[in-house]
Amino acid sequence: MSEPLLKKIKDGWQSGVAKNITFIVTKDCQLACKYCYLVGKNGHERMSWETAKRAVDYILSNENEFPEESVIWDFIGGEPLLEIDLIDRICDYIKAEMYRLNHHWFNSYRFSFTTNGINYHNQNVQHFVNKNKNHLSFAITIDGTKKKHDLNRIWASKDGIERGSYDDVVKNIPLWLSQFPNSGTKVTISSEDIPYIKESVLHLYSLGIREVNINVVFENVWKQGDDDLFEEQLLSLADAIIDNELYKDNACSFFNDQIGKPLNLEGDNRNWCGAGRMLAIDASGNFYPCNRFTQFSLRSKSAITVGSIDTGINHNLLRPFLALDRTTQSPQKCIDCEVASGCAWCQGENYDAADTDTIYQRSTAICKMHKARVRANNYYWNKLFRKLELEERLKEYRESHPQTDTKPC
Amino acid sequence: MLKYLIIPLSCNAVSFCHYDSHANTNDFISVDTLKKAIFWAMKENLSVQFVYPACDVPADILAAIDTVDHIDIVPSDMSDAELRAQADIVVFDDWNDIDRYEFSDGKAYVVRTSLAAFIDNVQTVKSVLPKLDRLNVVLTDIPGMSDVQIDSYKESLDSLIPAVAAEYLAGHPVQLNILSDRMVLDGMNNCNAGDESITLAPDGNFYICPAFSDMQENTVGNLQTGLDVRNPQLYKLTHAPICRICDAYQCKRCVWLNKQLTREVNIPSREQCVLAHVERNASKKLLEELRKMAPGYLEDKKIEEVGYLDPFEKLIQTQ
Repeated sequence: MSEPLLKKIKDGWQSGVAKNITFIVTKDCQLACKYCYLVGKNGHERMSWETAKRAVDYILSNENEFPEESVIWDFIGGEPLLEIDLIDRICDYIKAEMYRLNHHWFNSYRFSFTTNGINYHNQNVQHFVNKNKNHLSFAITIDGTKKKHDLNRIWASKDGIERGSYDDVVKNIPLWLSQFPNSGTKVTISSEDIPYIKESVLHLYSLGIREVNINVVFENVWKQGDDDLFEEQLLSLADAIIDNELYKDNACSFFNDQIGKPLNLEGDNRNWCGAGRMLAIDASGNFYPCNRFTQFSLRSKSAITVGSIDTGINHNLLRPFLALDRTTQSPQKCIDCEVASGCAWCQGENYDAADTDTIYQRSTAICKMHKARVRANNYYWNKLFRKLELEERLKEYRESHPQTDTKPC
Repeated sequence: MLKYLIIPLSCNAVSFCHYDSHANTNDFISVDTLKKAIFWAMKENLSVQFVYPACDVPADILAAIDTVDHIDIVPSDMSDAELRAQADIVVFDDWNDIDRYEFSDGKAYVVRTSLAAFIDNVQTVKSVLPKLDRLNVVLTDIPGMSDVQIDSYKESLDSLIPAVAAEYLAGHPVQLNILSDRMVLDGMNNCNAGDESITLAPDGNFYICPAFSDMQENTVGNLQTGLDVRNPQLYKLTHAPICRICDAYQCKRCVWLNKQLTREVNIPSREQCVLAHVERNASKKLLEELRKMAPGYLEDKKIEEVGYLDPFEKLIQTQ
């Protein structure tokens, strides 16, 4: 999107040239979100300092195995801020070692967090933020209105009484935005959330969060009629964004002028997902192609490790991930789909849902939701280009998005 | 498309490939299961290959086998000398006595060997080449093979080129799979288990190939419920992203080794790829050698110079 009038979703820092290294520092979390893919959360699998140190040592001392220009050291859980003291120590060690080894990442690194935000104001967290501010990305997850957020993002409790976490998170949003003013949030949509999409996105804008990265879950949770309801919500959201000119300062990832086109497989047959190009490390020191392949992320399959701090990376086990492309894993209906562009997948969910122990069978559970999104997206751009009197852009858009039957396969 | 049904007649039927024979017990397939399997193969229009153990086979099983056209795969130490003499493929599990074996024309012989034993027996290979029409060398220790070992393999293949070429020059175009096969191929000629062949084990279950039959969880159906290969496309070349851009056409492309080493049946390990390319490159040298002696020999065949031993590197560069 080239028009300066429109705010665009930003690419991540050093997108495409950075290695993502994820430390799963704990499998514990204060929350028990209903849509969470982490099916095996627990309070006893916490990374030790020794394991973390050995992982850092392995990575930094094997520079030839990690040729990427930059690195993003990602800390996730569970809830990573439960282990802020450990993380602080790991980050200090990473910085010192990168300097000592004159490592090519020394001037090109980021520490990155996705957190539920509950502990964001804590003294230790704030100490860490101030110490590393120039090399830090923070995303706090807030799902929208209190009603929508509390529908899924509830405290873990033993008494069976559901208590939402909205109030505990929203109080930290101003502090977070004052420190990271251009930050966005991630919103996840499951079947029950659909009626609240419009009000939630608008609510997040009103909180000062200008960038809303939102996606539907990849799991097969969708009920009859969910796609129609989803489309209604997006159409209504489109009207609200355009009629109130919110597009100037805000972005919502649902609306993207590049989705809903036929595939150009000759030009781009790349895999959608980055599994295997990143590296995740758990408390036991095992390496994974991404955290979605850990046992606590999988419902019905065994974890896939690609090595450990003891053995190093097993490159044979990485080959299937790095050889993945779109067509080899997709069913024919997806290859032939005329609105295929932008239809995403998660390699971990593909594996978990596959008929055999393979990462080469694409799950198509979101097919009808993608097509509903495409219909609403077409409406959004038609309406917006007309409002902005961008006739050429509208013409281009229509030519590149052939009118097609977007009914679910 | 399925073409072959492989039936190991007992749990300890000889291995003719990379895997080790699974059991010491000679539990034979039941005659009833065998008859049903033969009936199924006939209905599915499949060629049947029977794989024998070394011990004597019960007469009622032999009688059932006789009801269908078939291929016999037998161990070289099979007790029934008549059956062994009639077999289509004879398998040696080591190098003992191979140079004293009475080979027959028109048959294929398989020798299963570790890389080290192969290197030690290059002279044996040279000595048997004039006596047989086809020798398949099958390496049994591919997992974890080092670059140093693979270099030794390359040297051994190179040292065999003059001996093979001499046979061709003498009018005996002997086939040594790891050296001569690639020379005559225009496209992939792989094992294709799961796509072109399927195995019915003595337990009455279908498996992708005999190597998978050591664990019942690997079953892909049975004679009662039918064949049920899930994700069958993954056994086809079209769905093997590394192999489909490769021209080491003689490679076995062993899905069992793939599964063992990479977890995916359609993705080969580095070891398998590099070994196949070492063989490919040796074939190129053999072809060049033959053309020196007989200009224009196989002039429609071409093996290109490539700058890699692992086509995975080529794949990654194009992504």
